Amino acid sequence: MHLRSYLTWRNAVVVVGLIFLAVYPLFKPSAYMLHVFVLFFVWAIVAQNWNLLMGYAGIVSLGNIGFLAIGGYVSGILAKSFGLSPWITIPIGGVASALLVTVFLGLPALRLSGIYIALLSLVFADSLPSILTQTRSITGGAMGLHEIPPFFPGMQRVHDYYICLAAFLVIMYVLYRTIHSPTGLAFVALRDAEPFATSLGVNRFRERVKVFALSSFLTGIAGGFYVHSLGDISPTTLGIEPFLLAITMMELGGVGTFFGPILGAAVIVFGNEFLRLAGLLRLTLLGAIICGIILFFPGGIMQLLNQLMGWVRQRILQGRWAAQDG
Amino acid sequence: MLEVERLESFYGDMQVLRQVSLEVREREIVALFGPNGHGKSTLLKAVSGLQPATSGSIRLRGQEISRLPAHETVGMGLAYIPEERHLFPDMTVSENLNLGAYTPSAHGKKKENLEFVYDIFPRLAERRSQLCSTLSGGESRMVAIGRGLMSGASLLMVDEPSLGLAPGLKQGVFDAIATINRERGITILLVEQEIEHGLELADRIYLFKKGQILFERAAEEVNVEEIEQAYF
Amino acid sequence: MESFVNALVSALTTGSLYAIMALGLTIIYGVSRVFNFGHGIVAVLSAYFTWLFLGQLNLGLLPSILLSLPIMALFGWLVYRYSINPLLHKPNWEFSTVLFMLGLGILLENVILQVLGPRVKSIPVFFAGSLSIGFVRIAWHEISLILIVVLALVALNVFFRHTRTGQAMRAVAQSIPGARVVGIDVERIFGYTFALAFAATGFSGILLGTKYYMTPHIGWDWMVKGFVIVTFGGLGSTTGAIYAALILGLVEALVTLYLGAIWVWPIWFAIFIVVLLLRPQGIAGGRM
Repeated sequence: MHLRSYLTWRNAVVVVGLIFLAVYPLFKPSAYMLHVFVLFFVWAIVAQNWNLLMGYAGIVSLGNIGFLAIGGYVSGILAKSFGLSPWITIPIGGVASALLVTVFLGLPALRLSGIYIALLSLVFADSLPSILTQTRSITGGAMGLHEIPPFFPGMQRVHDYYICLAAFLVIMYVLYRTIHSPTGLAFVALRDAEPFATSLGVNRFRERVKVFALSSFLTGIAGGFYVHSLGDISPTTLGIEPFLLAITMMELGGVGTFFGPILGAAVIVFGNEFLRLAGLLRLTLLGAIICGIILFFPGGIMQLLNQLMGWVRQRILQGRWAAQDG
Repeated sequence: MLEVERLESFYGDMQVLRQVSLEVREREIVALFGPNGHGKSTLLKAVSGLQPATSGSIRLRGQEISRLPAHETVGMGLAYIPEERHLFPDMTVSENLNLGAYTPSAHGKKKENLEFVYDIFPRLAERRSQLCSTLSGGESRMVAIGRGLMSGASLLMVDEPSLGLAPGLKQGVFDAIATINRERGITILLVEQEIEHGLELADRIYLFKKGQILFERAAEEVNVEEIEQAYF
Repeated sequence: MESFVNALVSALTTGSLYAIMALGLTIIYGVSRVFNFGHGIVAVLSAYFTWLFLGQLNLGLLPSILLSLPIMALFGWLVYRYSINPLLHKPNWEFSTVLFMLGLGILLENVILQVLGPRVKSIPVFFAGSLSIGFVRIAWHEISLILIVVLALVALNVFFRHTRTGQAMRAVAQSIPGARVVGIDVERIFGYTFALAFAATGFSGILLGTKYYMTPHIGWDWMVKGFVIVTFGGLGSTTGAIYAALILGLVEALVTLYLGAIWVWPIWFAIFIVVLLLRPQGIAGGRM
């Protein structure tokens, strides 16, 4: 009975959140705030997919920003140079990302153990800026890609908002279903108890390729939505700061939970805007937050919330018992 | 010399040792028989400190050691020789043996112990500069036992010393154990699947099944069939 | 021809520096299986300490260096004792240690930036002038660097082969259960390992600081190169790391000479990718 009430409580929060997101633009927020929300949608997708790889499948990957960049650049270049509609180029960007990642990371990951995959993903992401610089003519090099066409001419921030919200909802739904499907179970089984899982017939190879392909595809798509909403992208997206921010989103929210990365993304994206004031201290703070969370709050906000809920439930229970006894 | 009283231990939620009590007296050879996977190795590991004991007591010469970590029990005269051997593969035989005398208490007698090891295992003397990764099964068993001797232990706990060895080598290992006990007065607690040999060597035996001691007998009062039957 | 020989000489210097740098990384991984993602910041931190002692406290060059090293060793021990050790006892230590060290690296880098400012710093060379033999010209300082590295490598070798703690470290690297069984306190050895490795890495940072201009951010470059070197050499193998450092130092020198400095990073990345894809265990067949 209490379990049911807990679930309803959480579901209630989700429903309220969804309603809020749906009607928010009606409060006539500034274009800037709408922009921040778009960032939130995109980064929540990145964080959630990264969480799929690291938290659920247990694979240490350091290159997910690369997935975003590939999807974004491919979509942006196709739309800009060939005049194709973003609705076509975004999926292509996602596929490009999935292809490249599967070939360079997914397949080698079949033979390599933890640290080597981490290193490979690091190289993968680290080498992209150099590649971008060398292909200056197509990608705009260090200057980046600008004036990327929006979804339709004459768009306003509000339209970006709703389009990205839709993408956010769809992708989160897809990930939610995946995590709670046999595939999702297979990922977790491989992470926690590999020999046992393999003995049950879980094919480590297939599942590893699957998880890389899925997370890179969806992150690549997020990249596409990113560039068409914001209009530009540059190698700075592949820098150390976005990387750390994304990692912090997962850690702060709670790696291995579903709502963790979403909460973490919210805190970081909205908090980052306020942190802009802190200037140089921002990176120091970020480093300190990462260290602190890993050492003292490895479960992140979700762990705190769960503990809080447990504590609240205890109190309610005690209250009821006292009422019955009395 | 060694008293184990109502020892219990868990792997996570699974209980592997249930109220285990046994004792090993000075200069004895005690054999522990029982089906595989029922916790005999775990018992030895718990005594040596490699596996945590959740309750119960382990006393070595009267001193309580159940809460001590493995590296401290070695210094007190207790050496565990694992079935997996766990040698240092990229080191030579002599380097492995040398490391056996790592604890300060073993240091003084290093030369003497080394001579003894090469005495009972002449094969090792020949191979002293050979890397352990290149040794045969029998030879690495010898190194493992030798390494345990180097610690200057007065109680040696040997886990399945003859496992996987050819019959001739098995006998050699058992003879070595008998020599160790006879010439150095070292107490031996032995886990073995070779019931016949074990009975020959041992003064007393315990039967261990499902994490518990089933019974204890003097070696001459029991025969192989009785023990084999008790396995089922 | 001249430039080729001079490039070879320069390769010897960079190779030696890379060797001592890679050693710190490979020692930690070899003994504890933790891959130190704070490798870069350790090198940089040490160099900055030396610079600080030299410039602000006006200690001599040698005292500054000799003071920095124990500080780095202590730092290594503290990092192990209060962060890495707790993490190793929890699940998913493979990525919590990686992320933690990354976070620590960023934190320290920016603290240094705040405290000491962004202007480029360097540590003065040990000796001025250079030696000319025929058309070959080598700075006395570079000769001293090579000799220092050789001495350091010999000292480390002696340490690992003939001291009790050094042997214990090798034992732990080869078999943790075996080490326990002979009475080695594995966690204490981990602590010493981190201390030694941080001191070695710190030392390499100081040497690198005499040759290159430093900013707090340069640690990342050194770290990535260190990663390539230890992977190429074989994770966990000190001999492999030394060979790899010399080979890659040579490659870097030749690439700079014949293709131009702009190709250096792409080549490092290419080598990294090729090694990871084709032979991850590296030259010496390190742990997979």
